[in-house]
Amino acid sequence: MGESLTTYMGDLMEEEVYAEVKRQLDEGVPPEKIFGELQKGMEIIGERYQAQEYYLSELIMAADIFKKAAEPLQEKLKGSAGETVGTMVLGTVAGDIHDIGKNIVALVFSSNGFNVIDLGVDVPVQKFVEAVKEHKPQIVGLSCLLTTSFDSLKATVEALEQAGLRNEVKVLIGGGPVDEATCKYVRADAYCVDAPAGVDIAKKMLGVA
Amino acid sequence: MVTARELYEERLNRIKTAVALGKPDRVPVVPMGDSFYLKYLRVKLADSCTNPKLFNEAILKAVTSLGEVDGIQHPSFSVYLLSVLWISELKIPGRDLPEDDLWQVDEKELMTVEDYDTIINQGYKKFLDDYYMHRLDNLNAKFQQFVESLPDAIKATQDMGIVPFSPGITTIPYEVFCGGRSMSEFLKDLFRIPDKVQAAMDVAIEDIVESARQFCRAIKPIATWVGGWRSASEFLSPRLWQRFVFPYYKKLVQAVVDEGVIAVLHFDSNWTRDLEYLRELPKGKCVFSPDGTTDIFKAKEILGDHLCIMGDVPAALLSLGTPDEVHNYCRRLIENIGPSGFILAQGCDIPPNAKPENVKAMIESVKG
Repeated sequence: MGESLTTYMGDLMEEEVYAEVKRQLDEGVPPEKIFGELQKGMEIIGERYQAQEYYLSELIMAADIFKKAAEPLQEKLKGSAGETVGTMVLGTVAGDIHDIGKNIVALVFSSNGFNVIDLGVDVPVQKFVEAVKEHKPQIVGLSCLLTTSFDSLKATVEALEQAGLRNEVKVLIGGGPVDEATCKYVRADAYCVDAPAGVDIAKKMLGVA
Repeated sequence: MVTARELYEERLNRIKTAVALGKPDRVPVVPMGDSFYLKYLRVKLADSCTNPKLFNEAILKAVTSLGEVDGIQHPSFSVYLLSVLWISELKIPGRDLPEDDLWQVDEKELMTVEDYDTIINQGYKKFLDDYYMHRLDNLNAKFQQFVESLPDAIKATQDMGIVPFSPGITTIPYEVFCGGRSMSEFLKDLFRIPDKVQAAMDVAIEDIVESARQFCRAIKPIATWVGGWRSASEFLSPRLWQRFVFPYYKKLVQAVVDEGVIAVLHFDSNWTRDLEYLRELPKGKCVFSPDGTTDIFKAKEILGDHLCIMGDVPAALLSLGTPDEVHNYCRRLIENIGPSGFILAQGCDIPPNAKPENVKAMIESVKG
């Protein structure tokens, strides 16, 4: 039953999720279908997060269950090149080593169908430029938790401008002290209060909402 | 000519009146800006961040040139304090970072699931001694240097007529474990092995309370921070917060207050959801100190007749705003959160890239 897998995922029933994935695989259910049910479960997680029924604690737990549950599917999904909503190059900007927010963004975006290229933390400006050239993303996500990183955010956006790539991408920023004023200061396209809000913004920008 | 002693008494009285929910002659201002002060003086972060005596001198020099403050939150600082709070490694300027970069907590999974068993079976102190020695490169020795420097730092501050408000920091087991395990791993522990985590917390809190009591008796501070960062309401569901967070704050705050010391709830991130719970803490003996993320007006509404509020000029306003914007924000706080039961301060910490004119505007704003 696909529906119950979605429900188990949404309700964070870890053991039931793994058992159901195994059962469906054993019964020969196509891995794309199983993966789709897990993604629907993650959508429930996102909705409950925005409704403040779930918090970061539940998001992190959900992300872990999702990752583990999808492991036995990964090999089978390869080659079938699942449809993606878009590509995002993501990282915490130079001088800042905070990774939790960035990791959550990576997970929430990938479970919502984005192909996420995660460059890690303390990412040099040039690395973002090279990644944009290489992966041609629609979205660039910049994370930071320090006000001292605002200038890194700005430098990263400027480097994209100088490389002539700025019009190719939408730049989303997020992290503790980031607000509308920061967004204006660094010339990003939007700032995101949290990961699910970021997904909504990104989808609207890509016209897939 | 007013002596430093008289000035000190006047300022202390102003602060104590606010904490007791009274209306002082004017709202007191008690800032903190550890890294900002060093940047402002153009002193290398690398030289002072592990040298509490240098740090104390820099704080006093900076703060007296920025305006007339009633008190300062930390008379001294050492980055090793952060290592103790979250049992984590650090990236230190001059060692791991360029000499003038800001220090950062380098959170990794240093504490294991087995460590919960060690705490439960062998005690928290045994666990911590071993952890400091072997996993944090003899942290205790480095931290002792800070503790030993405190009495002189406190006296130097008082001698200038400034109140060394809250020289110490303590926190609940949640924060310590979360730092040691790393936030993601720790949050998963709360789902997968909740009883074990709670049993370890119940052991740890006893030692933490005892250490806080000993600190209060030895240093006799006016206040001490009971800090909250990762345990903020915004990060975890009510079910988890009510079980793993609040009962421990209640116990720790009560112990500090029992020692005759004011508990400063230095609470970063968003605590708005659970403000009602803070009414269970001793009335007129604590300070709720949000960082600009919690809705401070809501806090006033819910806690105003119970706890003094301190804050909360946001870091981003201090670094990106103008002196006029800072002044207007401060006046709004003074008039709406004050004039009773309110202390003006930045939210969390003045960031290193704050504009000095903005910090001056904040300090000056209490005068009208």
